Amino acid sequence: MSSPVVMPTIAAGSGRHRITFATSRTLAYLSVLELGKVWERTLRRGGVPLKYSQGFNPRPRMHFAAPLPVGCGCSADLLDLSLDEPRTSKALCDAIAGVMPQNLVVLDIAPVDIHARSLSELLQEAEYSVWLQQTGEAELAETVAAFLKKDEILMPKRGRKYRGRFYDLRPLVKSLTLEPATPLPWLGLRVRVMARPGATGRPDELLRALGLADRPRRSTRTRLILDGEGPPPEAVADGD
Amino acid sequence: MSIDTTHPTHRIGAIQGSGPVVWERIEALLHRVIKPGRYVGGEYNSVHKAWDATDLHICLAFPDLYDLGMSNFALMILYDVLNRQPDLLAHRTYLPAPDMIAAMREAGLPLYALESYQPVSTFDILAISTAYEQLYANSLELMDLAGIPIRSANRDVTTPLVIGGGHGTFNPEPIADFFDVFVIGEAEDAILELTGTFQTTRHTSRDEQLRALAQIPGLYVPRFYTPVYAVGGGISDLTVADPALPTTIEKRLMPALPATPVAQLVPNVSTVHNRAIIEIHRGCTRGCRFCQAGAVTRPIRERPVDEIVASAEAVVQQTGYEELALLSLSSADHTGIDTLIRQLIDQFEGRHVSISLPSLHIDSFSVELAEMLSGGRHSGFTFAPEAGSDAMRHRINKDISTEALLSVAEEVFARGWRTIKLYFMIGLPAETDEDMEAIIELSHQVRQIGNRIGGRKAEVHVSVSTFVPKPDTVFQWEPLVDEETVERRQRILKQGIRGRGLKLSWNAYSATKLETLLTRGDRRLGALVERAWQLGARFDAWDEWCNQDAWNQAIAELPSEELRAAFPSARALLDHQLYRRRQPDERLPWDHLQTGVEKRFLLQDYRRSLSGELLTDCREECHACGILHHYRDLQTEEWRCPVLS
Repeated sequence: MSSPVVMPTIAAGSGRHRITFATSRTLAYLSVLELGKVWERTLRRGGVPLKYSQGFNPRPRMHFAAPLPVGCGCSADLLDLSLDEPRTSKALCDAIAGVMPQNLVVLDIAPVDIHARSLSELLQEAEYSVWLQQTGEAELAETVAAFLKKDEILMPKRGRKYRGRFYDLRPLVKSLTLEPATPLPWLGLRVRVMARPGATGRPDELLRALGLADRPRRSTRTRLILDGEGPPPEAVADGD
Repeated sequence: MSIDTTHPTHRIGAIQGSGPVVWERIEALLHRVIKPGRYVGGEYNSVHKAWDATDLHICLAFPDLYDLGMSNFALMILYDVLNRQPDLLAHRTYLPAPDMIAAMREAGLPLYALESYQPVSTFDILAISTAYEQLYANSLELMDLAGIPIRSANRDVTTPLVIGGGHGTFNPEPIADFFDVFVIGEAEDAILELTGTFQTTRHTSRDEQLRALAQIPGLYVPRFYTPVYAVGGGISDLTVADPALPTTIEKRLMPALPATPVAQLVPNVSTVHNRAIIEIHRGCTRGCRFCQAGAVTRPIRERPVDEIVASAEAVVQQTGYEELALLSLSSADHTGIDTLIRQLIDQFEGRHVSISLPSLHIDSFSVELAEMLSGGRHSGFTFAPEAGSDAMRHRINKDISTEALLSVAEEVFARGWRTIKLYFMIGLPAETDEDMEAIIELSHQVRQIGNRIGGRKAEVHVSVSTFVPKPDTVFQWEPLVDEETVERRQRILKQGIRGRGLKLSWNAYSATKLETLLTRGDRRLGALVERAWQLGARFDAWDEWCNQDAWNQAIAELPSEELRAAFPSARALLDHQLYRRRQPDERLPWDHLQTGVEKRFLLQDYRRSLSGELLTDCREECHACGILHHYRDLQTEEWRCPVLS
């Protein structure tokens, strides 16, 4: 069970909050809908007054910055939620502190202006760390170098309706490096991909392109980069 | 087949020295399989007691996918009952899908429990749900994947005690060779008596231990009961190994419904019924003559409204579920249902928690209830008339006339529903092709009402299954309808039920045949189940995975001396087990396992069926089925049996 970071109280409370959270192990294997359900149920257990959409099939107004691929955990993902009644971030923290499921950790809750742009609009890029097993270090370095040299990497589009169509993965990968400090028997990759509507790179697609799709792996989305957050802190490895 | 042979070393009487499967070994397989979230556990409200701090470890298993097993309320109740005991621990496991089974076998990973990743083979007791026949081959696969010998005779105290429970145990004979003990009837109390005796006998041999367990009421230890077969294939007698053992086993019955599990498991991945459950009553008084559930769960016991309302609040608070299902065989029969629904609607007003009633009768009261719960959404309304004509419905004791049904359909469409689902059975006793015309006509009549009220959007979905004669029902003596007849009748229906607004679905005869074979089979069929499993039969409930060829080949092989001695051919076996009318005085394979509803009553009611006589709901008048006679001492205020003078 997590111990959420205590946030400074905002006197009046807010109707919209941004949660920074982490998932691992058991919760890394969910679809985005399933993770949404986990959150919805956690918030209901905590008695948080979520705002719902109108209509015959009301849905809670909760929005992730971007769906996590099945098999991928996260160490700082973002979720925006709208409330029916304003609450302080601290009150939210306290409400859910005792009702969190295993392997879901709240790192931060902060109020957001009701009129602020949505997370999906703000999201620019995402960073993943992918640890692989049963992979040689030299093999990995070579594969990565070969990938970075290419100008174009055509991958089949996912989903039935796109059958037979391709997209170029290469420009979606902003950087790809070997992670130096990965504990054995793992070998680590760090990848930064574009994460905008219609231009989203996925770590599983990258592994497929690298010919490593069959390797046991542990994937984590380590960072989401939003518009206005300034230039990325690390040099882009492939220099494009 | 490569099972992990590095099993922990067991010590007599206590299984120790074994650690859990390392997470990394599980993780290494997950990228290869569909829906890996099924195999990792971590559900909210799962119970994580310390392995070494508890004396007895029991693994509850549902031998099909997690998605189905997590929705099984019986296992949820037992999980709660067992984990309340300080000295024991209950964990869960399910049968992985074929892709994960293949990955685990390849990696030498044994089946493990989801809470602790402890190998199933290191538990003291493995309790497998044998709720229905399609789980039988899967049970063998589950034991094998756990590295446990599948035959009871090949197990000793170094392997878990394998017990079965659920409706299938009212005739467990086809799987009797694979289980050590069956719990007949309701297990809430019996399971604790079982674990208690297990603890005091764990230093004895398995045979001695089983002898002690067989003394507990409701526990059936098949190895001590041996059927004697007659010339001609039937059963002439049953020998009991020890005069100290009972010759018949009466089902266990809870005098009142057990407390609702409040901290219900909340799965992380999607499952079939992903919702909170409260059992509002158990048993059914309608007396449908084909229905096994109604027969074996008597008497009807009702949970008081106040208790349900209080539990509803607690369950929703502790789970966060957005849906609460009120479970029973016939929801609208609860005497306080109207008050209950109104109170629940008030209580959850504005909280985005929906209430569902899974089984409703065809009457306007049910439509009102459904309307109250719909929240303005009208997706589909389900009717189960089961038969097309009044005459056939009388024969099966389904007390609803065509006229009444049509008037309820009118009300359903008038209140805004656009789809009605109609459930029918074919192959019922004394059925003719004309009965198909009645189903067709009724479907068209309902569709026309829909068109008149709802216009072109109105739809009628007709679902037709084939009647399976089940043990302990009025129709237990009936032959299974033959394949040619079923195909002809399905053809008639396909020709008759088509056009705008009509949809028809039916099930394959092969599945019906297998279910009938296993549900009424005798112990000799164990060899057949084992052989079919060896040939690859499993997931019999799944169209995409079931392996009919394996079953057909196993039947054709007559895979044991006993079968070959009794039946000159596979045809003779099927004729004997499926297509023959059983005699009223014949010894049935399940006669020694008693539901409390007497054979005498079933035969009386069978005669009533032949003359098309309806039997009233037994809350109004007692028809002397035998329950009150056998279980009078247990009767409480919750029973809805009439008071006898």
